[in-house]
Amino acid sequence: MTKVADMQFGLGLRHQHYQEIADQPGQVDWFEALSENYMVAGGRPLVWLDRIRRDYPMVLHGVSLSIGASDPLDLDYLAQLKALAARVEPRVVSDHLCFTGHAGINLHDLLPLPYTEEALAHVATRVARVQDFLGRRILLENVSSYVRYAESQLSEWEFLAALSERADCDILLDVNNIYVSAFNHEFDPRAYIAAIPPARVKQIHLAGHSHMGTHIIDTHDHPVIDDVWTLYAEALRRFGPVPTMIERDDDIPPYADLVAELERARRIAAATLMTPEKAA
Amino acid sequence: MNALVTLQAEFSAWMRGSADTLRARVLDTEKADRDTLLRVYRDAYALRLIEALTTDYPGLLAMAGPAEFDMMARAYIAAHPSRHPSVRWFGRDLADFLAVTPPFAGTPDAADMARFEWALGEAFDAADTEPLTFEQLAGAPPEAWATLRLSFVPALRRLSLSYQAPQAWQRRDTVPPGELDVSAEDGAVDWLIWRPAADGDAQFRSMAPDEAAALDAALGGAPFPEICAVLSAYADSAEAAAERAAGLLRAWLDAGVVDDAAWG
Ligand SMILES: [Fe+2]
Repeated sequence: MTKVADMQFGLGLRHQHYQEIADQPGQVDWFEALSENYMVAGGRPLVWLDRIRRDYPMVLHGVSLSIGASDPLDLDYLAQLKALAARVEPRVVSDHLCFTGHAGINLHDLLPLPYTEEALAHVATRVARVQDFLGRRILLENVSSYVRYAESQLSEWEFLAALSERADCDILLDVNNIYVSAFNHEFDPRAYIAAIPPARVKQIHLAGHSHMGTHIIDTHDHPVIDDVWTLYAEALRRFGPVPTMIERDDDIPPYADLVAELERARRIAAATLMTPEKAA
Repeated sequence: MNALVTLQAEFSAWMRGSADTLRARVLDTEKADRDTLLRVYRDAYALRLIEALTTDYPGLLAMAGPAEFDMMARAYIAAHPSRHPSVRWFGRDLADFLAVTPPFAGTPDAADMARFEWALGEAFDAADTEPLTFEQLAGAPPEAWATLRLSFVPALRRLSLSYQAPQAWQRRDTVPPGELDVSAEDGAVDWLIWRPAADGDAQFRSMAPDEAAALDAALGGAPFPEICAVLSAYADSAEAAAERAAGLLRAWLDAGVVDDAAWG
């Protein structure tokens, strides 16, 4: 079990910050690289990936595994992912609990699954095959969603908790996504957190979003909001010192701004976890 | 797995603009009706792919302006949905699409710009290799030259363009969107695109007809004497052709586009 003092804080690796990341080691503990961005033959992306990897631990985070799709698993994609993992030696490899395409067409979005027994059995089988192929356990992340299906029999948290046990996979818990989906689908985000098995949570995502009044869209183009920080503290109380990072994908601010935002995560973690009974 | 297949087929159809059978499966919420919520996905689908094209084709955007570019992009999205796990490859058929699809086929400068910009992107993240240097090749024994064949780096691209797309591309940020004009050439002009450094951008330059012919021969695996023979069609004498061949070879080596040489 990670000690609170060793808890690690990361950022998403974005090309806008390559130079500063390389020039200022030590401000961020680790980086999360988006796998697909580095599934190229050569050139600048891989030069920077290798260079930054020399100074920082990394994790790999994909968007195209499409673990819930009804199409066959894309073995070419998995082979590329495995090769990239051999190059980067990431601490963890993650993707999303969703489907991203159908019938050979990639829709390039994280689309929600129906939370049915049928889907659960299907995804569990595929996770096992992916883990066999990669030779490692993967993390699956809860996504933000905007629609809910009439046919769902389980809640999302029941589905995710059951999947992690049945498929023996780990969880990347995105606290902002819980917040977004809770608002959109009118459930209690704390009930979600309370249902997730703590031993499975190996990484936490934080991010900003766009509030449209009637619904929230997961845009990753703003700082993390106060309510999500509060929910993050709630998650830390249940899951302990899980490595945490901030995702920013649009309106990318200066590197120093993200480092400062990450400081807030460090402060909240310290305040939440460094209580006398937990500090041992 | 039938229910899951059907749902996913309906979701894909909804995203891509066909009939909305997905709607019956989706719930309204207290705050928002399902049509509003479903539109979040459909809108994001188009915007994400348009953004990918915007990144890959800034020159086309400067030519067309945002409104026309948007219209063009949506037509392309409908005709060529993404079939690759990475959005990096989504735009690869755009030049061919523009060349044959009305109304875009009526302005062939657009297809030339797309061809040029896609080649720049291909050169940008092609595989890294250690190019052959002049000093290395100078070490080849004299008898090697009779059978010497060149291979080229993966980042090399060679284009023939009927419009001055590369020249216009260099002006893409200096004119208001939609006002980038691309002049026609008198005939087709040959271009060489390559990436001088592993972590650098692609570079490009035009080639004289004799260089393009020599490069095509070399790319086709012709040995050095055959390249000299190709050049003799453009030169006054065999000596001049050999001299030109040596000069071109030096230029290719100095640019870093020759990957290796083999003989025997
Ligand atoms: Fe996330």
